[in-house]
This record gives sequence, C-alpha cells and structure tokens, in this order.
Amino acid sequence: MPAPDLQQRLAALRETIADIERKPALAEARVLVEQQGSAFPVLAGGLLQEIFTDERRNAGALLGFALAQAKGLLTAQRRAVIYLQLADEAQKLGLPYGPGLLSFGLDPDALVLVRAANMGELLWAVEEAIACRAVAGVVADIGSHSKLLDFTASRRLSLRAAATGGSIFMLRYGQGRAASAAHLRWRLMPIHSARSRYDAKAPGPLRWRAELEKGALIRNQTEFVLGWTENGFTTLPAQRRHANRLAGRAALPRTVPAALADGLSQTA
Amino acid sequence: MLYEPVKGGLRLAEVDAEAMRLGLSAGQNLADARAMVPGLTVREMDRPQLEAAFADFADWHSNASPLVAVMNEVSGFGNLVLDITGVAHLFGGERPMLRLLLTRLRDLGYTVAGAIAPTIGAAWGISHFARSQVVEAGDLENILDALPVHALRLTPVQIAGLTQMGLKTIGQLRPRPRKPLQARFGLSLLTRLDQAYGMVEERMTPRLPPAERYAERRFADPIGLMDDVLMTCHDLAIQLAIRLEAEGQGGQAFHLFLYRVDHKVMTLSVNSARLTRDPQHITKLFANRSERLEGEYHAGFGIDMIRLAVSSVSELDAVQLGAFSHQGVAEDLDQLSDRMSSRLGTMAVLKTQLVASHIPEQAARLVPALAANDALRDAGWPVPPRPLRLLPMPERVAINAEVPDGLPASMIWRRDSYKIEKASGPERLGAEWWRSGQRLQLVPPRPPKKGETPPYIPNLPQFDPEAGTRDYFVVEDATGRRFWIFRQGFHRAGEPAVWYLHGFFA
Repeated sequence: MPAPDLQQRLAALRETIADIERKPALAEARVLVEQQGSAFPVLAGGLLQEIFTDERRNAGALLGFALAQAKGLLTAQRRAVIYLQLADEAQKLGLPYGPGLLSFGLDPDALVLVRAANMGELLWAVEEAIACRAVAGVVADIGSHSKLLDFTASRRLSLRAAATGGSIFMLRYGQGRAASAAHLRWRLMPIHSARSRYDAKAPGPLRWRAELEKGALIRNQTEFVLGWTENGFTTLPAQRRHANRLAGRAALPRTVPAALADGLSQTA
Repeated sequence: MLYEPVKGGLRLAEVDAEAMRLGLSAGQNLADARAMVPGLTVREMDRPQLEAAFADFADWHSNASPLVAVMNEVSGFGNLVLDITGVAHLFGGERPMLRLLLTRLRDLGYTVAGAIAPTIGAAWGISHFARSQVVEAGDLENILDALPVHALRLTPVQIAGLTQMGLKTIGQLRPRPRKPLQARFGLSLLTRLDQAYGMVEERMTPRLPPAERYAERRFADPIGLMDDVLMTCHDLAIQLAIRLEAEGQGGQAFHLFLYRVDHKVMTLSVNSARLTRDPQHITKLFANRSERLEGEYHAGFGIDMIRLAVSSVSELDAVQLGAFSHQGVAEDLDQLSDRMSSRLGTMAVLKTQLVASHIPEQAARLVPALAANDALRDAGWPVPPRPLRLLPMPERVAINAEVPDGLPASMIWRRDSYKIEKASGPERLGAEWWRSGQRLQLVPPRPPKKGETPPYIPNLPQFDPEAGTRDYFVVEDATGRRFWIFRQGFHRAGEPAVWYLHGFFA
C-alpha cells in the first residue's frame, strides 16, 4: 500500500497524461466557444465537425445546418465556402441551388461547388481548400461509405483545420459511426416546423434538433432545438424527447475521457 | 509498297526504292504490277492514319523551329515545311542544321530528302527531284531551270499536257508567253511557277500557334521522370517570370511541351483565372495537372527538350503586397480554384450564376469558376421561398390528394411513402413564350382573297402554354422534412396527374 502522498502524485501524473492524450485542438475548442445561456453557441473556426443524419432524404436539413454555421464564419478576410460532392451523387442528394441559397441567407457568389470524380480526389480537394486562408468553411457532402474515409484521413483534416482556422463540415448519412478525429459530431434531424403565421396548413419556419454526440461544449449541453433566420440561429427550449425515439436504439455514449481509456488499472 | 482504290481499280499509291528499280511506279494498276513482279508484297494505304502520324512528326519538329507545317497541296502527308528564318544559327548554320535534321530522321530508319531554299516551292522541288542541299538565292534560277516540270507541284493533267507540248524542264517552260499558258493550263500553273521563283509570296500555316514568349531547355541526356520534368518546369517558370516581369506582362494560359526522343510531343496546358507570372503557382498547376494523367504519361525513350510557353498575355502591373489589406483574398481564392481545376478538371470547380428567369432550373447556372464573372445580384422582384437543394433531374413521385385539385396528402418517392401534414401552394409557373421558338396564335388566319398575297406565317409550331405549366407546392411530411414538388400541366378530370419532386428545403 503506497503512501497517500504517492497516491496523490500518481493521480496528478495520470491527469497530466490525460491532458496530453486529449486532443490538443479539442481542448482549444472548449476555449473558443462563446455561449450565452442555453443558446446555440457561436463556434469558432478551426474545427472538424461531422454532421450525421439518419437518412439521405434529410439532405436539405443537413446542408442547411452546415451552411448556417459556415455563414457565421464568413468575414472580409475569409469570404468563401467550398462545397464538395462526388459527381455521381448529385442526383441522389441534389445540388445547392442559387436562388435557394439567397432565400436561405447566403450569397451564392460565396459558394464554390466542387464535383470530384472519386473519394481520393474529394479528400485532396478538402485538404487543398482548407489550406487556403481565404476559405471560411469547407462542406464535404459524402453520401456513401469509402475505405479512404478512415481515422487517418479525419485526423489529417482535423489538424489541417486547426492549423489554418477554417472549419470543415463533413455531411454524413446513416446510423453507422466510424472512428474519427472530428472535434465535434452532431446528429441532426429535421422536426416539425413552427406554425405559419398566416396559414395553419402551410409549413412554417424550419426547426432542427441537433444532438452533440462527440466533443463537449462549455455547459455540457448536448441537445438543441434550433430555428434559423437569415441573421442566425434561434434556440428554442428543448422539449422532452418522445420515449419511442429512444426505444429503437441504445443511447450513444458520450466520449470517454482519455484517462479511462488508456488501459491503466483504475483501482491502484 | 502501298496501294489504294482509285476510280474503281486498285492502283499503286506509293512505291519504295527497290520497287522503282524493278520498274514499278505510282499510279500503276495493282494487277499489272503483280504480273510484272510475282512476289510483290503490298498493303492498303490508310490515309487518316498516315496523316495523323505525320502530324505528330510535324509537332516534334517544332523543337527545330517554331513554325512547322504539313504541306497538303500534293498529298495530306509526306511533306514537312519549316520556316527557319532566324533559327539556323542555333544549329551552327543552315548546312549543319539540314544535316542534323536529316540524319536524325535517317537514324530512326526513315528515308528522307530535304532542302533549304529561299522559297517553299523551290525547296519542295529540289528536295524531291535533286539531291539534298542548301540553295542560296543566287543559284536558285540555275538549279530550278534544270529540274523537270514535275518539281512545280502541278496536277497530273497539267504535267501530261506539258509533256505533250515537249516542255520537259522548268527552264524550257519559263520563257514561254504566259497568256497562252494560262489559257491552256489555268492560273495555278503560273502561280506555282511564280511561287517557286519567289515572284509571289507563299504563306504557310503553322500547326502550333507560335508562342512569342517561351523558355526552353535541352538535355544532353534524355530525362524520363515526371519529377525531373516538374523541376525543370519550375526553372523555366522562373526564367519566364523574369522576362514577363521585365515587360510588365502576365499570362493566363501556360503550355508545357515535352519533346520525346522518339519524335512525339506531349502537351500539358493549364489555365489560370487571373493574369499571373508567379512561378510557384504555375509549377503547382502543372504538378496537379500531371497527377491527373499518371497513367497516360509515358516518356518512351526519354525527353530531350522541354519548352514552357505562355499565351493569353496581357498587361499586369507590379502590385505591392500589403500585410493588412484585403486585396490578396480574391487572388487567393482564384489561385485555389486554379489549383483545384488543374487537378479535377475545369468543369469540376463551379460557381453559381443567377439568370433572370422564373423557370427554376434555368434561374441558376453552374459555370466554371475560372470563367465566372459578376453574377446577377438580385432578380429585382420578390421570389417565393426556393429549396436549398435542387435535383438536377426532377424525379417522378406518386401523389394522393383528398380532393382532386387540392393539397397533396401523401406521397410515394423512391419506394418510400410519406404522409404529408402541411402543404402550401400552388405557385404556378408558366412556360416562357418569349424564349420559346414557338409562335403565339393570336388571330386566326383568314383565307386570302383573289389576287392578294397570303400573310406571312412563320413555319413554327403553335405555342402551347399548358405544356410548360407547373404548379409548385411546398410540402412537409410527418417528421419535418420539406420537399418541393410540382404537378406538370393543369389538373384534368379523368386523367392522372403527373407529379415530380424537384428539391429539398433546409
């Protein structure tokens, strides 16, 4: 039985190791977030964010959420958003539409569309685009799975993003989650729109539900119900989730702190 | 020995030296030739292939002179003309240059004859009907006079006529009065005669556009690796940049010519969105471009010369770089789209251009980012909400409604059914008659009276406003997804409506 001060030192050392092992960019991300109350935080650039949705038919909401965040990153210095898609997925997912961008609140001139022939070229283009200091955000819309999209690739992109200060949004579809070095991972679903002011039968202002699956924000809030106006996000109080939403699948675990994952015995 | 079908019979088209010794000649009937020489090997002539191969030859010879053309007056291949004005001194004079060009082709196993002469016509005649030599302007008349009339690039009919008249050499033909000659043989005979003697200027059309500004490097030993090529390209880009900077110019299109030892030229071209002379950027574009042709790149026996040429040149003033200005931002973005276009292809990097049209798929056009100019800012009229994503091709959906012409109640799309809870519409969009090539029927034409010319009625189909009319609806399903769907045409009782899904809202 070691002396108590030894145990304290051991605990302190373990803490240090955990700090080292925790991704440095992620630690930084905690600092960069400004959050007021329970409103959706203003996320700074330099993050690799994965945004998942369960089905491809939610593609509209997914693109909306990414562009809404990217719009907040646009400045006079960084005035472009690059959107990337595989050329053969245009008919499956649809292409960003100029007049639609205008009514969404983004200048179509600021969006550059890149249609890559295969996943290798797409990843090359993401890396090339994020290295440019005039790019505020890169939105990669990936409707299929590929072997190239592994941990190494995401680690590479997350380091690139952290180094240059632009954000990468990876739009993904489906329930599967592969290991990745993304700083934040969202699960986004559209929900019932609000009531239209003049016509009860018509769709009203849009609503999304965003759940944070990976990474942490300042107040450890993980669920947001969001609306969008041309000027930014509006945050609504999260309703209680329906029981049947959770029934189908196990709740995804929050990220395990590195200290627990390093394989050291926890009973020492 | 090559033959080809001419006027219903197989005739010899080209004969080699050995066949000529056996008494065969071009134009002879193949059956006759076979009778004279029983063991004859002949092949059918493939003109397009020969012409393509010869064009490669011509391109390769641009390492000797920038102005190279294939002469196609007599046949589509076989004659190469180089304008060597101001070039010969690079090869140590005209005589060594001719020797070099001929020997390097002979080393490859070709039979070649060549001549350097003050006119194109004289050079052709001398190379075909005399030994290979360099002819000075003073000797031109003596040498040409001794040549047979065949040396004037005449048609077989003209040659036959001249032979009939007993005019065998050019020297015999030249002093004859010109008017009767023109009457009998046409103007072309006199033109050829004047061209050969330099009385009339003859122009050649070079195959490759001559680049005024280029840098090139020759290698003592051929190189093969792409990395070496790119390193050389960087050096050349620096040389070119220094020159362009001194002239205050910048270029938008850059071409890299790789001359292979085995008479082939590979060309790589890249474009830049804005004028540039930055060697780093140019090299980067070529590096990206070369990665795209990884499989196609083949150095053969090596590359012995590389030339970097610039075109679309125009004035580019020196700019002072500011540490705090926003000026570099647009330039950075343009360079990024250059780099991505050079690797992914020009049509892969696009920008949206808004067009003043209310037809949804025509209201936005995707143009290459390199070519994008200032877009239409605002349509100028209020536009109802438009979807964030649009399908390139609208997809058929099945729609059920509670009342026939009412709001949709359920939808089947990609074999999934959706219960529609909220819907708004319709927004009716009509066809644009002012853009259609159809005519509007306003007044029914009346039968013309006697003696009256009937009114002009253009031969166009009638404009059918119904054909292009769409009723758009924004619908939301039970889980909050929002779609943009439309019905093609008007609702008609008894006919099933045709519905499409066109886009997704955020």
